[in-house]
Amino acid sequence: MDDYAIGVLTNIGLISFLALSAYLLLITGEMSFGQQAFFGVGAYAGGMLTAMYGWSLPLAALCAMALGALAQFLVGLPTLRLRGLYFAMATLAAAEMARILFELFHFQRQLEGEPVGPDGSQGFRGIRWVFEHGVEPLEYLGMVYALLALALVAFLLVERSRLGATLRGVGEDAELAASLGVNVTRVKLGVAAAAGALAALGGVLYAHHNTYIEPRNFDIMLGVHSLAYALIGGLGTALGPLLGVVLDIGALEGSRVFQGYRMIVFGGLVALLLIWRPRGLLDERAVQWLRRRFS
Amino acid sequence: MAKAALLLILSVLPGLALAQAPKADLACKATGTDFVFDCTIRLSRGGKPLEGAQVTVGADMPSMPMAHNVKPVKAQAAHAPGEYRAKLDLEMLGVWAVKLRLAGPVRDQLILHYEFDSKGATPAKR
Amino acid sequence: MSDLAQNTLDGLFLGSSYALLALGFTLIFGVLRRVNLSFGPAVMFGCYAATWVNLNFGAGLVLLALVTILGSILAGAYVERLCFAPHRGGSAIAAMVASFALWMQFEELASIVLPRHLYDFPPLHGGAPLAFGAMTLRIESLVMLFAALLMCALLWWILYRTRFGVAVRAVIDQPQAAQLAGINVPRVFMLTFALASAIGGLAGFLIAASHEQVTPMLGMWSTMKGLLAMMLGGLGSLPGAVLGGLALGLLEAHSQWFFGPQNRDLIAYALIFILLAARVPWMTTRSAS
Repeated sequence: MDDYAIGVLTNIGLISFLALSAYLLLITGEMSFGQQAFFGVGAYAGGMLTAMYGWSLPLAALCAMALGALAQFLVGLPTLRLRGLYFAMATLAAAEMARILFELFHFQRQLEGEPVGPDGSQGFRGIRWVFEHGVEPLEYLGMVYALLALALVAFLLVERSRLGATLRGVGEDAELAASLGVNVTRVKLGVAAAAGALAALGGVLYAHHNTYIEPRNFDIMLGVHSLAYALIGGLGTALGPLLGVVLDIGALEGSRVFQGYRMIVFGGLVALLLIWRPRGLLDERAVQWLRRRFS
Repeated sequence: MAKAALLLILSVLPGLALAQAPKADLACKATGTDFVFDCTIRLSRGGKPLEGAQVTVGADMPSMPMAHNVKPVKAQAAHAPGEYRAKLDLEMLGVWAVKLRLAGPVRDQLILHYEFDSKGATPAKR
Repeated sequence: MSDLAQNTLDGLFLGSSYALLALGFTLIFGVLRRVNLSFGPAVMFGCYAATWVNLNFGAGLVLLALVTILGSILAGAYVERLCFAPHRGGSAIAAMVASFALWMQFEELASIVLPRHLYDFPPLHGGAPLAFGAMTLRIESLVMLFAALLMCALLWWILYRTRFGVAVRAVIDQPQAAQLAGINVPRVFMLTFALASAIGGLAGFLIAASHEQVTPMLGMWSTMKGLLAMMLGGLGSLPGAVLGGLALGLLEAHSQWFFGPQNRDLIAYALIFILLAARVPWMTTRSAS
């Protein structure tokens, strides 16, 4: 497999974390335009820990996930009572604030005569953990997909459990769920923390794959894209968001036929697809149908 | 004894010492074809030109980090030591983060920001 | 003290462009109950059409304004047909995601047809700004404010003095009842979209002409400002859109003076976040799912 294909596949894996993070919130009825901020938190935190303080990647990733979970929890506390577009706007505002804070964040250490660390809008160079530890691109790809597979297994287990039913119940009709004894606030906050951790994991992996991050990487486009992947792929299963990611990055990136026109083609296809399947490709009905077919 | 062992281990660990990190700069000229640029890369390490490296050149747009994937091209060694040539086919003009992946004597990845316009590329500083 | 006055004045002028954008956004949201993420890009399409005309033929300001408005209406019609008409009785989210997909189309189209990062746009007024004592007034800003006021008056007239306006207001307040009363709701949607796009086009033309340049960022920028102003003024409220736009302009002008451009945006977002989190009544009462 050549480097380019490995790169594309790795990117698919990385964005999938972000799409899954948006999907998780969507299940419980909240639409977030801001997951890219937690992606960024993970990227900066993980990058700083390995490049500036010599932490190992696994440890840095765990720490980054914890920070991402905390950050999304804190953003969620005052905002999860908001509905629909209001919540979306609040997440958008929070994410843009985070991005601007990244632009203002200068924190470098002198390591062997060179400054290392985030330098505001100049970005954060030299996250070279993979080179310092001889990790080949193919190995890194394997690592990303192993973690993604773990996340997927967790999702699929939850979806078949009572917790999954509770989550979807909250998403369908929060008042009804509350009247049935579900602590809706606690559920939503828990989901928020999980979504933040997931996004942050994607972020830390992205930072080490790219060796360089800058605030512009984490702008609205990234967030709206990942939300769109979840909505296009379908909300019936965790494989839905992945399908959305693969469709955009994989199929159209792989076929260079549409060089320069990719967005136009993809955008048109998405709009048409949504007319046919407004709830995405793998929506709840499709998943039910598939389950019956193959059980 | 312990010091010798430590030194041995340290010398075996790959990619140590940031002071040995390679540096690069880019000079690009627009060709006749839209968005295709002829680029010369100069690599150096510790102040000396870095020869014999396998350089793969790619590019990303900062604001859509995983979308505008430009197909990476392998650079050819040019005449001068430490110089490599590559043709970059970008999909549009603007600020690009040029990604240089190095293999060979040194394994590393360098990111350089350049603004590409109808004439060539100039370093972009924000 | 005169700094305060100057900033207030600048803020009002800036705010009037935001108010126009917010008006267009709010019209669509109020009537269709949907968020149109392609609103800014449609405006950008109009501006780029005018830029293209200007580059290839050179034209007067009035013609360019017309091209911008017509371009925006055309783009808006495309968006309406593909994203909103098919989902009329259905999923609001599907419509929104579809409008996002079309946003991507507009962006790529713009970068294909006019690939440079920046294009000149003829100014509204080539001369020097007016001076009033210690304060300066750019003619462009006056024109912008005047146009915004005129547009508000025109919109008010349409909504309160024409049959079409009655239909629009009925659809905004009581969509089902309006349908039952025999109002052709799809036609109202289509015409409202055209009206909103026209307003957006005018806003775009004024913004491009007073900045004397067009960039590809115009699409996202217009959508963001329109959304923010609409939120500030209260979702779905037309007078709120104007007030929200003016308030945003004032906030930005004063913040920039005291804290610089980056902090200016930070403050605007922080304010919106705090207001939303506190669930202030005028911002959170309208149903917005």
